[in-house]
Amino acid sequence: MIDLPDLSKINEKYRMFSEIASEISTDAEFAFSAKDNLTAVGFQARAGSAILEGYRPLFDAACIEKMRSAGGFLIGKTNMDEFGFGSFSMNSAYGIPRNPYDTERSCGGSSGGAACAAAVIDGHVALGVSTGGSIACPASFCGVYGMAPTYGRVSRHGLIDYGNSMDKVGILSQDAKDLGKYLPIISGDDRRDPASCNHPPLQKRFRKLRSVAIVKGEASAGVDAAIRSAEEELRSMSVDVETVSMDSLRYALPAYYVLASAEGSTNIARYCGLRYGRQDGDLSLKFDDYFTKMRSEYLGEETKRRVILGTFTRMMGFRDKYYAKALGVRNAIISEYKSIFERFDAVLTPTMPFISPRFDEISGMSALETYRADVLSVPPNLSGLPHISMPCGYSEGMPVGMMLVADHWNDDILLSAAEEWQKRFDARRSEVAI
Amino acid sequence: MKIGLEVHVQLPTRSKMFCSCPTEGDAEPNTRVCPICMGFPGSKPSLNGEALKLGLKLAKMLGCTIPDTTWFSRKIYFYPDLAKNFQVTQQETPVGLGGVYMLGTKPIRITRIHLEEDPGKIKRTADGSSLIDYNRSGVPLAEIVTEPDISSPAEARKFLASLLADIRHTIDLEPDSERSVRCDCNISVGKERCEVKNVTGLKNVERALTFEMVRQTKVLKAGGKIERETRHFDEERKVTTSARKKEFEADYGYINEPDLGVYHIAKMASEIENKETPMEMTARFVGDYGMTPEAAKQIVSTDVRLAQFFEELAAATDTETAKGFVSGVISSHWKGFEPSRGGLEDITSMIRRFADGEITDVECNMRIRCIMTGDEDTCKICSEDLDKIVGRALDENPSVIADYAKNEKAANRIIGGVMKETGGAYSSAEIVSAVRRLISERL
Amino acid sequence: MDRETVTKVARIAHLELTEEEIELYRSDLEEILDYFRVLDGAPSSDGLLLNPVEVSDVLRPDEPHMEIPADALLADMNTYERYVRGPRVQ
Repeated sequence: MIDLPDLSKINEKYRMFSEIASEISTDAEFAFSAKDNLTAVGFQARAGSAILEGYRPLFDAACIEKMRSAGGFLIGKTNMDEFGFGSFSMNSAYGIPRNPYDTERSCGGSSGGAACAAAVIDGHVALGVSTGGSIACPASFCGVYGMAPTYGRVSRHGLIDYGNSMDKVGILSQDAKDLGKYLPIISGDDRRDPASCNHPPLQKRFRKLRSVAIVKGEASAGVDAAIRSAEEELRSMSVDVETVSMDSLRYALPAYYVLASAEGSTNIARYCGLRYGRQDGDLSLKFDDYFTKMRSEYLGEETKRRVILGTFTRMMGFRDKYYAKALGVRNAIISEYKSIFERFDAVLTPTMPFISPRFDEISGMSALETYRADVLSVPPNLSGLPHISMPCGYSEGMPVGMMLVADHWNDDILLSAAEEWQKRFDARRSEVAI
Repeated sequence: MKIGLEVHVQLPTRSKMFCSCPTEGDAEPNTRVCPICMGFPGSKPSLNGEALKLGLKLAKMLGCTIPDTTWFSRKIYFYPDLAKNFQVTQQETPVGLGGVYMLGTKPIRITRIHLEEDPGKIKRTADGSSLIDYNRSGVPLAEIVTEPDISSPAEARKFLASLLADIRHTIDLEPDSERSVRCDCNISVGKERCEVKNVTGLKNVERALTFEMVRQTKVLKAGGKIERETRHFDEERKVTTSARKKEFEADYGYINEPDLGVYHIAKMASEIENKETPMEMTARFVGDYGMTPEAAKQIVSTDVRLAQFFEELAAATDTETAKGFVSGVISSHWKGFEPSRGGLEDITSMIRRFADGEITDVECNMRIRCIMTGDEDTCKICSEDLDKIVGRALDENPSVIADYAKNEKAANRIIGGVMKETGGAYSSAEIVSAVRRLISERL
Repeated sequence: MDRETVTKVARIAHLELTEEEIELYRSDLEEILDYFRVLDGAPSSDGLLLNPVEVSDVLRPDEPHMEIPADALLADMNTYERYVRGPRVQ
């Protein structure tokens, strides 16, 4: 039985949904929402883009298929940055979600709507997607638990692609136990997504977190303070905590943006006003002109920026310097993580270098500045490592998140850590007055 | 003059390269399509194992080096028939590199062979807009690229005919199915080369190359320069025309295809055993049996089973004898002859009798003709001596004739007796034929 | 990163940019690529070239099968007698 508040009213205030189910089934076992880049029968899948207006998929994404089979009812599709390009969900064509702790501030991105829904709507779990930090970032900004599993653990069948070698479906919720409850449901081999096949299965008994390596990262004073008290708390949980340095991490952000925009730009090529979404251009135009006109009119600014950047990084004459180099750098970063994991169960950093910025502050940021907001969340994402953001404090009234990263396939250690953490950390709820 | 070809062959799989849509069946447009081959957002590809195997068979047939690991690439360009505006192909790791194809005694070097997916098909409407059918989108292709070792348009055609015969034989490709062959043809008369893209069928390849050869020669003779460019072949007017300059400027921006991952193919490749190709067999006949290339080609191209029978016959008797009969009477009557095990054995024993001096070559040829065609007149002549033996047997058993009118099986006693008496001098077919004929005559 | 490169890349990517956009993206990309220069000195190792974890040898049997009826796919498309309508090609 599920018991939900009036979602349309909530959505008017917070704008977390791009589409709400027309009728809520109260018979279902549980309620869940899905980021709008996951296909679900009965809903549009527009991935925050005007060019996909009207795309009604005929198949459920694997994760949604599994949630529905397990008795879940899909209550709505959540708002996001167009195709996943962004860290503040401001690049959305269907509404910008507002932070429940301060509606003048961002929910983070690109799964901003998912984090907002998780924070505001009790008794529901949100499916999100992370490519460079798009689950951890909004989870941190909205004070909820957000888990991105190992790349390949969850099938990407039905996920509208951003970075094929980095996209991961994950879970956001106020309740840490939801992560451990729903990850087993959505995980597993799916022949429709070869990248999800033949991997070590998720452990059924979650192993305990025993040791953590802290990597110092650039962060504001308020964030630093929250992390330091989190460190103390971990020690009191009998977790060994030690500070380490990781030299290769500073290359993660540029390598990520090279690879993600290269892959992303190829995924956006198909959006040209044919076959799905908007198809109403002037067909008497020559095809090059038709495609150019439709794409220029219906793709957003950040999407165009990433497409130009990504096309450049794989162009003749630049491909070796950027695309091929980034692939090698990724391997070097993974190697360094592996050497840390020989001695520690997890790596700890703040999730984000600051609390959620105000919308007007974000509008004043340059593109590079917005990319640099991901400096802490990108390294595990680039490396395909499972990671979890947990609320660990408040600064200026806004939530601060801490991020634990574990080795490939050790997702269970993070799930048990989150459950343990929740027993100790009293999360302050956002005001939800309707 | 230098000619190089990029040959695209559709592989005979039942489902498409990256999805399980059928490759054959309903010809109505857009009936064999799915979210994957139409590039719908959220869809993911999955590689057809049979397509990979067929690609490896062809790589081996061409004598290519096969890598231990292979993967796929995305080749990005925008066209309405390309469902994702990128084609999944193999840029970095083709399934085969550096082979050679023997066209008779001339080696044509093979640069590479790789796997990729076919785009859809476009029909142009009266008002110029397009109508697109994605049934073909995603059909598996093998692309074979040659070095510019071909010396003339006629040789190009010869090469393609021969290569296709070998490909058909190696991967069981239907000869006249929907599966067509398309070529991108590169030709340079002087220093600079031009590419004629997407030419369908062998005749058109020769025509397109001939036109280009003439065009380029004319330009050079008049003191002009050949501009390196991409051209199209107009099938109706039989001319090549310049494509828009934009096509040549395409930057495909290749990246690796992460959705498919990598394939470790060393084991699969080593386990592949290709059938001997007609080309190989022909070459072997020339070498092992001292046949002329023409004679060898004639036998092999008539029927592989005829060629196989030749080898059995040469082993049972000797090479010269086998050559003589196979090239002669056996080839002449092969079409229409159903080569059963029994029939072939009868022919063999007949030739052995000739070789042993028991019958003349004239008689042997007649008997073979009788076995292969069942022609009454021929068989009658052959069996004159036999007629005497059968006649005697019928004289000794007159009741058989009356019994035969009621039940044909009555003849079996006579047949058995004559077979025993003649002890293999005549084939069972001849004896049965003679007994029945003579009984009928007496009825 | 100059104007010419931005317009060339935009053309390849089938994007038409206004004068303001050309300058916006030019300066953004200049700043971003300058930041990417740190990659020149970055450590690099051999290993996986496609995915951050091993993804290998997933093959599909050659069995024809259609999960979704073709007509359902065509229902939301711009079609004419079962063909998908597209722009001019010549």
